[in-house]
Amino acid sequence: MKSTQYSEKTLDHFRNPRNVGTLEGDDVAIGRVGNPVCGDLMEMYIQVVDDRIADIRFQTFGCGSAVATSSMTTELVKGMTLDEALGVTRGNVADALDGLPPVKMHCSNLAADALHDAIKNWRSGKKLNPLTAEEVAGVGSGCAVPAVTVIANADDYLGKGLFRQVDDINDLSEKRTLVLDRGPASAKLALELTKVTPRVVFLTELDTLGLPEDLSGEIKRSDVKVLYQARLLSVLGEGEVEKVRIHDLDEDNDYELFVDAVVLLEA
Amino acid sequence: MPEEVYLDYQSAKPVDPRVVEAMLPYFTESFGNAASLHSVGDRATEALEASRARVAAFIGAEPDEVIFTSGATESNNLALIGYANRNKRAGDHIIISEVDHISMLNIGKYLEKAGFRVSKVPPDQFGRINPAKLRARITDDTILVSVGWASNEIGTVQPIAEIAEMLKGTGVALHVDAVAAEGLLPIDMRAVPVDLLSLSSNDIYGPPGLGALYIRKGVKLGPIMMGGGQERGLRSGTEPLALIVGMAEAADIAAAEMATEVPRIAAMRDRLVSAVLSTIPDSHLNGHPTGRLPNNAHFRFEGIEGESLLLSMRDEGIAVSTGSACSSKTLEPSHTLISCGLLHEEAHGSLEFTFGRFSQDSEIDRVMEVLPGIVLRLRRMSPLYKTD
Repeated sequence: MKSTQYSEKTLDHFRNPRNVGTLEGDDVAIGRVGNPVCGDLMEMYIQVVDDRIADIRFQTFGCGSAVATSSMTTELVKGMTLDEALGVTRGNVADALDGLPPVKMHCSNLAADALHDAIKNWRSGKKLNPLTAEEVAGVGSGCAVPAVTVIANADDYLGKGLFRQVDDINDLSEKRTLVLDRGPASAKLALELTKVTPRVVFLTELDTLGLPEDLSGEIKRSDVKVLYQARLLSVLGEGEVEKVRIHDLDEDNDYELFVDAVVLLEA
Repeated sequence: MPEEVYLDYQSAKPVDPRVVEAMLPYFTESFGNAASLHSVGDRATEALEASRARVAAFIGAEPDEVIFTSGATESNNLALIGYANRNKRAGDHIIISEVDHISMLNIGKYLEKAGFRVSKVPPDQFGRINPAKLRARITDDTILVSVGWASNEIGTVQPIAEIAEMLKGTGVALHVDAVAAEGLLPIDMRAVPVDLLSLSSNDIYGPPGLGALYIRKGVKLGPIMMGGGQERGLRSGTEPLALIVGMAEAADIAAAEMATEVPRIAAMRDRLVSAVLSTIPDSHLNGHPTGRLPNNAHFRFEGIEGESLLLSMRDEGIAVSTGSACSSKTLEPSHTLISCGLLHEEAHGSLEFTFGRFSQDSEIDRVMEVLPGIVLRLRRMSPLYKTD
């Protein structure tokens, strides 16, 4: 979509966004919507005093209209009662910005939803914590043991980019490598592999790293890219591993990732 | 507002003023139709054939191996669809590259609907096609392989000579879309056995709306557009003489100036790359670190989204490109970046700079004055980027 199709008001809110930031305290609730995979993630922080939105801040990762709708939403609802704020829709936000390009109406107009989420969390007493950089793809507090999924066609690729064990990490030198979460041994291997290749993706079905604290800290500080809430569906490639199909458990959709090697340690 | 900085030469190039000068008489005085039998038509024929020879010389080809089209998209369509249709008795399998321009991928989809089988070769993490991976896909039914000379987006240059060598004697034809590489890399059809090669006029600072297709002698094509049989029956429609003279002039200038122009552009590009990577934390260079077009710098910034970057640069009077989904019509991120193994959220944060003939060192200064601040501002706003 051409940026020139944004209204002047939208561009103004993009250039000078109002109420950027975060809030803290017992009277603060956080709402969060979107997914970085789609290019949008929004957080709304509301401070509630006497059932009114006394103060509001936002954080947004997204395109021009994602920033502008976040900014406009905060302006619209500041001072409103919670019920009034719940009545503010995506359409109201778009109208207040003198309209949005049609293609942006659904994908980047999530700010009202984030606000509603914050109000819902306030009323239910649910406390979201601000995201840490490493938690971006996952929200909540998972602590389950990683499930062992059987990848139907994996063994077709044994010796052709699929590893059940890694005897020499140099076998994966310079290869884009996907390591499936099979507990601490797999995480340690992922860390090891960053010495020989710049691209190591650690794929877990959990929404957080279900590893001992020191190990998950090390993973987060390393160059290992963690994919949370992701399930490996199948390995693809002509004669050797070329890509994988992944199911995003949060968004409930599938996507492909181009890799050269997959490490599926024996459970 | 300071003077506009234009670092998006891969999207469009200004026509060189010398080219405009050369074209002008062909709009008013020498306007003839090359098909006419009178003397006005004869003069048009002379100009047309002289121009064809100049464009052919630019790529080391014979004049009768070059036909003119409306641009690279048409050249690619004619090469693939024209070759597939004409040679389907020999086989129904075509191989294209996953990293190529979207116009190639969509031609592939069309051919599949038309009953051909199309395989796609994935690139490595730098966007480079491994000839061995290509070879593994060749079957007895394979008739054509198509790989771009270089990526217009991430700038990675493909091992075309190696691929051409590998295909020699197999009976499989090779088409190369050379649009991103022309004028920047030496392209010589005497040295590299390519069968079909697509060129664009604007990409060598000629007029937009014109392209060419090189067809090696003996390679059989069918037309995809029916009409008066111009261009040896392969591309009907009266030749746009002024545009063709313009492309010939552009080709002459490119050939004469490449040796000085390319090092100048590469030095500017190198300066930008090292300035960005050393000044902006968590920034990465996409594409191949060395095996890339001399004019291309393609970055990825963690935690921010490309369209927001683009809009902010635009506010500072700087024109660049992004591979972000949010700036595309389909809302899909760049397939080129995805095929290099990037995740969607990584592809969203990309920014592409392409330098050209009229780029100045001062433009890099201007970029570096504002880019670090823009990245910082957007990261402060982003829930995905925490400095703790």
